[in-house]
Amino acid sequence: MSDTADVQTDRINQARLASLGTMVAGITHELNTPLGAIHSNHDVIERALLKLQDILEDEVVTPDELEEVRKIVRAMDGVLRTNGIAVERLVKLVESLRTFGRPDRAEIDRVDLHEGLDSTLAVLGHELKMISVEKDYGELPMVECYPNRINQVFMNLLHNATQAMPDGGTLGVSTSTNGGRVRIEVRDTGCGIERANLERIFEPGFTTKDGRVGMGLGLAISHQIVDQHGGTIAVDSELEEGTTFRVALPIELSPEHRALEGGDDDLK
Amino acid sequence: MNELMTTVMIVDDEEMVVGSIQSFLELETSYRVLPFTSPEAALASLDDERVHTIVADFMMPEMDGVTFLTRARELRPDATRILLTGYADKKNAIRAINEAGLYQYVQKPWDNDALTVVIRNAVERCQMYGELAERLVELETANEELAGLKDRWMKAFL
Repeated sequence: MSDTADVQTDRINQARLASLGTMVAGITHELNTPLGAIHSNHDVIERALLKLQDILEDEVVTPDELEEVRKIVRAMDGVLRTNGIAVERLVKLVESLRTFGRPDRAEIDRVDLHEGLDSTLAVLGHELKMISVEKDYGELPMVECYPNRINQVFMNLLHNATQAMPDGGTLGVSTSTNGGRVRIEVRDTGCGIERANLERIFEPGFTTKDGRVGMGLGLAISHQIVDQHGGTIAVDSELEEGTTFRVALPIELSPEHRALEGGDDDLK
Repeated sequence: MNELMTTVMIVDDEEMVVGSIQSFLELETSYRVLPFTSPEAALASLDDERVHTIVADFMMPEMDGVTFLTRARELRPDATRILLTGYADKKNAIRAINEAGLYQYVQKPWDNDALTVVIRNAVERCQMYGELAERLVELETANEELAGLKDRWMKAFL
């Protein structure tokens, strides 16, 4: 392998680590709210139990104590309800993570791309809090692809869209079928990309963000992944109005693309 | 003003946060708790409600916590305002707290004992402001009476 190829491999690995870091930060944030609620509720249950033990200690319950028991029951009712909501949130998050990064999905498989888009949106949950998400999903057949890699493309496009709208906006995700291909469109109402930069946006290392390690490769990697599937990726952008990425993927991989092994070497 | 009449408003778009804090306060205090998951609905209720302390989340989709607390101040200037904030938003939140003149912030995930101390102090502060305002009115009334008395004496003796 030449030096240039080594440098390129390093940069791709750095980009993957950086996007892993973003994901971990996102998941931590997503875990924080339900865990905070459960943590507080646990403390409330402990306190309530102590109060009940105290009331029952002399085996006589006075009218005042009865009122206190009613108060405890009301608090426990609230605890049960909020714990239910928190646990439900955690279960959904774990389910999304499982769909997003299933190890068995490193190989070619036929998948529902909406599942991949939804699990990516769930993983990005904290970044979408100030953003309104508009989904317009069409009827899609199961699509033959490397699911993990396609999820990586979704992650890059959706994460970029949220980054373009730090003060909020609308994130549109739509899907449709056209002949033997499916189309996925990711649209934001963010700052837009200058015309001069649009042509270079899929070049490795090109970035308009700050010079953090691993930046500027997300779109290059996405381009390579889509290309590896025999698909296309295109971008439209208007300054101050927003950017739209359009990905088209074949429903069936061609024998030539299916012949490519799932190893990382394909991406270098 | 006794604790029975004390009202604490909790505003967070996450029902589980509002619900957990409400359960805790209902168990450990005699405060009346007003829970809201919508800042707009919370503001609308401030027209009719006497509220001593308002606890609001920073990151809410409908309206951020600092904007909410700034608008709440216009409706209930005497209520003490506290911001609830996640670790990642801490820097922005602190800047906003200084700009909006808020009383304190509480970091998520919160500790119930620490939260109680902050809320109790906030309620006391509100009650002290209320007592101070009452004393001021008494002082003004006394001053006016004194001025009237002085007028009558002047008229009587001069």
